[in-house]
Amino acid sequence: MDKLKKNFSFIAISAVIGFMIAIQFQTVKKPVERDTRDIWQLREAILQEKELQSELLTEIRSIEEKLLAYESKQKQSKEQALRDTIQELKIEAGMTKITAPGLIVNIEPIIEEIQIGADISTVVSPELLKRLLNELNMYDAKFVSVDGQRIINTTVIRDINNETKIDGHSLSSLPIEIKVGVDNIETAEKLYNQMKVSKATEEFFIENLKLTISEPNPEITFPAYDNPIRIRYLESLKANEGGNT
Amino acid sequence: MWLPLLGLIVGILLGLLTDIRIPEEYSNYLSIAVLAALDTLFGGIRAHLQNIYDEKVFVSGFFFNILLAASLAFLGVHLGVDLYLAAVFAFGVRLFQNIAVIRRILLTKWSKSKEKLEKN
Repeated sequence: MDKLKKNFSFIAISAVIGFMIAIQFQTVKKPVERDTRDIWQLREAILQEKELQSELLTEIRSIEEKLLAYESKQKQSKEQALRDTIQELKIEAGMTKITAPGLIVNIEPIIEEIQIGADISTVVSPELLKRLLNELNMYDAKFVSVDGQRIINTTVIRDINNETKIDGHSLSSLPIEIKVGVDNIETAEKLYNQMKVSKATEEFFIENLKLTISEPNPEITFPAYDNPIRIRYLESLKANEGGNT
Repeated sequence: MWLPLLGLIVGILLGLLTDIRIPEEYSNYLSIAVLAALDTLFGGIRAHLQNIYDEKVFVSGFFFNILLAASLAFLGVHLGVDLYLAAVFAFGVRLFQNIAVIRRILLTKWSKSKEKLEKN
């Protein structure tokens, strides 16, 4: 018994060591992660990466061009290059009137529903509208305006006292015209085809609304975003900061 | 004398069964702590065989060595010097020495018992 007591610390410490070794062993030995994707999933992944790559390349090219312009114009007119950049940024932010190829989507009440004396549904719910806009964005829509209101990144669509409002503009009367602009006419064709088979039509039909999609139009004019854009959380960077985070 | 081995096996089994993993960043510390603990264990066995074993020295040495090794590694990480190599070196050398002493003691014991057996 005395021997056991004497050996107790030995046993306890060797048990602790064993425990530590086991944990270390388990930590170092990583589970082998198996790639279980089949060839089509791999192809899809490659496609995604390729798209990203080409997008990045385009961006690099445009930035390099800009750099070149800055360098060449540095002596003559710095201002012009800066002004060009501002203009480009304004277009991207949606603060300019712009003409681009695209198509027009009309939301109108279903004719069969119009009966004498019956109420016509006149409200497009914000959820439905958001869903439609998300879908349009998914299909590469670049410029969107709803009922003459330009949609930009910070646009809010919400329900205020049973009225659907877009940045303070209320959508109270049907029909509503949604203009969708894309980069070129081919993309517009693609968008048109995708919209024709999209579920959006059925989703609007459930709410007694009819979605009409016009043929692609090479020239659609989009109004500028007319409210001031408030920037609340963005701050300008000092010259020696940033770039390495 | 087989009891420490039993403890080791129990510890390893417990560790494997509980499936605990520590974050990758700390595995360095744990490895050095394991080395320090092994050094202490072999030092303890040697002291046992040389009959100079003291439980207090053994237990305090265990914790103190682990703490020292881990803090040395920590300091090394923060100074940008691989200080844990110093601990690895020290413990490694001592581990070899201890094991050599244990081997010699066991060898002498074994040859003595053999001589006794032959005399009888």
